[in-house]
Amino acid sequence: MAKLTPDDLVILLLAISTMLLLSRFASELGRKVGLPIVMGELLVGIALGPTVLGTLSPTIYNTIFPFTTNAHVSLALDGLFSLAVIMLLFVAGLEIQLSQVIRQGRITVFAGLGSMILPFASGFAAAWFAPHWFNIAKSDHFLFALFLGTAMSISALPVIARILLDMKLFKTKVGMVIISSAIFNDLIGWLFFSFILSLAAEGTNDGAGGIVSTLVYIVAFSVFMLVIGRLLLNRILPWVQTRLSWPGGVLSLSLGFCLLCAAFTESIHIHAILGAFIAGIAIGDSVHLREEAREIMHQFVTNFFAPLFFVSIGLKVDFIQYFDGFIVAIVLLIACVGKVVGASLGARLGGMHWHHAMAVGFGLNARGAMEILLGSLAFQAGLIAQPIFVALVVMALVTSITSAPMIRYFIKERAVR
Amino acid sequence: MEYDTLKHRPPYPFATIGVAMAFSSSRLEDVLAEAKILAETCNARLLLIHIGEKTLAKENILNDILKRLGCNSMEIQIIWQQGNPVKTLLNICKQHLVDLLILRAKRREKGLSYYLGSVVRGLSRAAKCSLLLLTEPQVSGTSFRKIIVNGVQNPKTIPTIQTVNYFATHVGAREIIVVTESDQQGVAMAMAYDSTATQTTLVKERLSSQEAQQLHELVSLCGPCEIKVSEKIVTGRPGYAIRQYAEQANADLLVINSPDAKYGLIDRIFTHGMEYILENLPCNLLIVHSRVS
Repeated sequence: MAKLTPDDLVILLLAISTMLLLSRFASELGRKVGLPIVMGELLVGIALGPTVLGTLSPTIYNTIFPFTTNAHVSLALDGLFSLAVIMLLFVAGLEIQLSQVIRQGRITVFAGLGSMILPFASGFAAAWFAPHWFNIAKSDHFLFALFLGTAMSISALPVIARILLDMKLFKTKVGMVIISSAIFNDLIGWLFFSFILSLAAEGTNDGAGGIVSTLVYIVAFSVFMLVIGRLLLNRILPWVQTRLSWPGGVLSLSLGFCLLCAAFTESIHIHAILGAFIAGIAIGDSVHLREEAREIMHQFVTNFFAPLFFVSIGLKVDFIQYFDGFIVAIVLLIACVGKVVGASLGARLGGMHWHHAMAVGFGLNARGAMEILLGSLAFQAGLIAQPIFVALVVMALVTSITSAPMIRYFIKERAVR
Repeated sequence: MEYDTLKHRPPYPFATIGVAMAFSSSRLEDVLAEAKILAETCNARLLLIHIGEKTLAKENILNDILKRLGCNSMEIQIIWQQGNPVKTLLNICKQHLVDLLILRAKRREKGLSYYLGSVVRGLSRAAKCSLLLLTEPQVSGTSFRKIIVNGVQNPKTIPTIQTVNYFATHVGAREIIVVTESDQQGVAMAMAYDSTATQTTLVKERLSSQEAQQLHELVSLCGPCEIKVSEKIVTGRPGYAIRQYAEQANADLLVINSPDAKYGLIDRIFTHGMEYILENLPCNLLIVHSRVS
């Protein structure tokens, strides 16, 4: 068995501690001026990565992050980053309450569908009819078009929830519609994205049969876990939370279950993120999961795995070299127009007042960390090139920053009238 | 014409009380006794409904029970009709302007019967009149001392609380507790990224105080009540939290609004709201159909 030498271990621990400490410092600074925490983490990654440190001092960069010079450390870091992605998807799933979408009714259905269909269609159409805008060859633009459509249609539930809490809109009708629609977007978006990743991994060479079997696997696994798996968890969780040590018992069960599901989906050639996401939904949807346990899982993942993951993005991509103003502008335009128009139109058709419908549109426009996660996975899978990934990161940050002021504007407008 | 009358009819007083009779149940006499007591208390007309074949044996059983309960002097109408139990009962209630339908309900529907739907659960999801589900009916009558009402933010809630005031006054209740469920889903996720402990506590307190204020305003809109009314906030998933609270508080009656939309199988699989209560009744349940759209 290959082992890390003591020197390798020192480098690995040094890399992790550098990422954690600097990202916390940058995020706290950013928080003071109201910037998203993920921005601080990305900036640390850019500063520590090839963009800044790699250019100014290649020796220090290659010593702390020896991706090309030390295979052992590189592999260990890669494993850690993969685990981070799985954990991030798991906690994203924890907040998906299927019943919330069902009980919100008509407006949510319309807003949820509107905020998915139009962004997906506009992203897909742009990539399909104008692949040259994104420097994509006409021959292999099908998966890219599917991806771009999906990337345009997801939302960022954590960012949205925080914005609504800060604006005291969390428990209002507008807030509930935004949250429920975001849940709907994330659920469908991540399921579809895992389908795209499976196609990318296996190739579309198997033809329609391969595509259908991948779809069947995804649907069968999801339905089984969300119906039978949820029922079983609802039986097990009360026992675990009262008979086993607290909170150790429920944490071990939840994280173990998440990794088991991730391993299963990976083994059947669907990406591990699907297993983690569905496991998160199955556990998080249970009324028996105590709020304290949920909080611990969120804190652990968002303060350990999330910084490592977002710093790692900056470590791997040169944001200056691959910044393409045209692609950034196109992605930003499609993302904002598709989402705001689609969601607002949906909410309006569902019966909401026009100003509130616009607030719903801008609320759902926040993409945040989830878009970066999605882009990063697509980049790793070879679905997109670096300029598009950079554009997605910029789009995620811009939409997250602009969301709150726009919601505030339309809510105020409604109040004035 | 009758439908119009029903549509605009206030949920109380209970002028007509219906009882769904099941001769297969060993508690038929208990249910009828409860209905008789309530009808006398509310000065209501009593409508006894049986969905099934009318036989001499059943008639004899019913006559014996009514005799034992001393119902001779009461205004009672008996309806025998065949058909789909839920649909037929709903139609009869509509035709006869039933204000309150009384049924005996098991605390818990086991296994598949919950998903496939029993008559009682089916009616609860679709009735156009108020329903009283009695889990432990008694010949001597149930005492509804402690009543818990779901004070959810909904246009139906004010008529529901007013109906409870009416009901509680007639049955001699001691206490009414109006409960709001504070669902803090999403707060943990939203605050995990960049919040100090103080900020998290403040946000949670703010949410709770907002809900407490809304509840207080709601209760004050319902007008005066002769019985002591208190307010309570419980944290948890809507439906589930109030069920737990009713169990822990040893409530005699839990009162909820009728559902806004018809519940189906999907609502039973992805349980929410009223389904948490129907899944496992914590005590007797009154579903108020306020006839507010």
